[in-house]
Amino acid sequence: MITSLKQMADSVRTAGRKYRIAVAWGQDQNTIGSIHRAVNEGFAEAFLIGSVSEIVKVCRETGCDPSLFTVIESDDEKSATETAVSMTAEGEADIVMKGLVGTDKFLRAVMNKENGLLAPGSVMSYVCAIEIPAYRKLLFVTDTAVIPFPDLKQKVAMAEYALTMARRFGIVMPKVALIGASEKVSDHFPNTLDYAEMCRMAEDGRISPCIMDGPLDLFLACDPESVKIKGVTTPVDGDADILLFPSLEACNPFYKSLMLFGKGELAGMIRGTIKPVVLMSRSESELSKYYCVALACLMASENN
Amino acid sequence: MVLKHLSELKDILVDKPTRRLVLAAAQDQTSLTSVISAARDGYIEPILVGDKEAIQNIASENNLDISGVRMIHEPDTEVAVEIAVKMVRSNQADILMKGKVGTSTLLKAVLNKEWGLRTGTLLSHIAIFEVEAYHKLIAVTDVAMNIAPNLQDKIAIVNNSVACLNRLGVELPKVAVLGAVEMVSENMQATLDAALLSKMNQRDQIKHCIIDGPLAFDNAISLDSAIHKGIRSDVAGDTDLLLMPDIEVGNVLYKSLVFFAHAKVAAVILGAIVPIVLTSRSDSDQAKYDSILLAAAVTKNA
Repeated sequence: MITSLKQMADSVRTAGRKYRIAVAWGQDQNTIGSIHRAVNEGFAEAFLIGSVSEIVKVCRETGCDPSLFTVIESDDEKSATETAVSMTAEGEADIVMKGLVGTDKFLRAVMNKENGLLAPGSVMSYVCAIEIPAYRKLLFVTDTAVIPFPDLKQKVAMAEYALTMARRFGIVMPKVALIGASEKVSDHFPNTLDYAEMCRMAEDGRISPCIMDGPLDLFLACDPESVKIKGVTTPVDGDADILLFPSLEACNPFYKSLMLFGKGELAGMIRGTIKPVVLMSRSESELSKYYCVALACLMASENN
Repeated sequence: MVLKHLSELKDILVDKPTRRLVLAAAQDQTSLTSVISAARDGYIEPILVGDKEAIQNIASENNLDISGVRMIHEPDTEVAVEIAVKMVRSNQADILMKGKVGTSTLLKAVLNKEWGLRTGTLLSHIAIFEVEAYHKLIAVTDVAMNIAPNLQDKIAIVNNSVACLNRLGVELPKVAVLGAVEMVSENMQATLDAALLSKMNQRDQIKHCIIDGPLAFDNAISLDSAIHKGIRSDVAGDTDLLLMPDIEVGNVLYKSLVFFAHAKVAAVILGAIVPIVLTSRSDSDQAKYDSILLAAAVTKNA
């Protein structure tokens, strides 16, 4: 079982496979810096799609050798993004990664019906594996970045994506906590009604094998002591592997508070696409950025 | 003034008269313990309303010295709450605290139209956190009272909170209106409200503070993050008060700070004639004690 992000990256590094990553408009220090270590360690091969002269210049400024990368000339961010996505869709690359292009534009290309990476009717979401000193194991958290207010279908998809990832880390029967303000189902909180339905779905086998409960507040999800004090009976029992949040509004400050105040590191990626998509915030730490690339490689290995 | 530690509440209280705290349904081990220790340290003068025998039993079982403490015997919980509220109303107490009684029973009494403690504004909850990684105390509202505040409610919540911070010596609190993103998006009401609140602040419709939003959490508390994103803001990276879009978000953040970031916290209910201390079983003893000190520090005319 993989129990830390370092172990996750090590397993990818030592597996002896090289993943081809197409980087859309990959011509800024931040992006090149993010992928540089993975390339250096030999588990990634990067196609930087952008202005060749700019890429060479930025590589020099960043202190890395441009010959480490395959550079593909492109005139503008739109065509660079389309090239990166279609290369990945057609199997010339295993993973696509966002460079200096805006998130909206990048995701539009990913979702493009003709030559994008999202199957019709699929839900696109984001899952993060977070490592934090105050918690005894990795926490898989969704959705930190994509769906503002998920409906039931989207919540179920989010749960499945997180479950797939947790299983990839070797967690056979992940514990899923559906997060609310309290443990009570109430029509004041429409999300809690979805949660009750999801618990039934998990029992019926309409959600893949897991131990699911909700609504639970964060304490009941992660702290066995709180479960005892409150006297709540929950199969998650303060030992959640996966936290599913009711909204982006709740999940985004949650994960950022862990990064900034809880000394956390993360590895996150888009889920729901036919190939892994790497998208990360510029403000993540260097280490987290490296982990994001490694995670995409880990998840790409299941595609083949 | 900039506060970094909750222990600085003690410094604020040094020059102030001792506040009278009435504990409603005082036969409650956890709240009684924190009240007696705050009294022993000289920060409050307690008045215990409740079942006298039960209070005495709890005191002796827990080695609490309640000799000389004023006690009003009333075994019926609802009546005890009414007495406590009426004592505040008639200026016999400066702080109200919940003992062994449900929150809804206490609030019903506080909101009673004839003899309650309404001031015409909304009641709201403020939680003040001491987080090691942040350079000062940071207040978060509303994580416990208002489920889904609309714009008018948010204005009232900001006003309550700003008055509270002003009384703690934070003269022009920087208020970050939290969003999932820092862009105004018509799909997210919280971001629209944030833009309106910011503009209303610029026009002096909301005073005594600097409001900016929407700001994502990282922009609100980290200047580096804001710079990365190219955000120009007088609040980013130096937030005193974080306004939550709704209780679901607030609850998650509150618990995340306490559990994952090991934050210390003190909290009170604002908007009534006096501050109200409502603690829950899962709060630490320190949090209960600090909440009492916070209530004493933000009592009006102190």
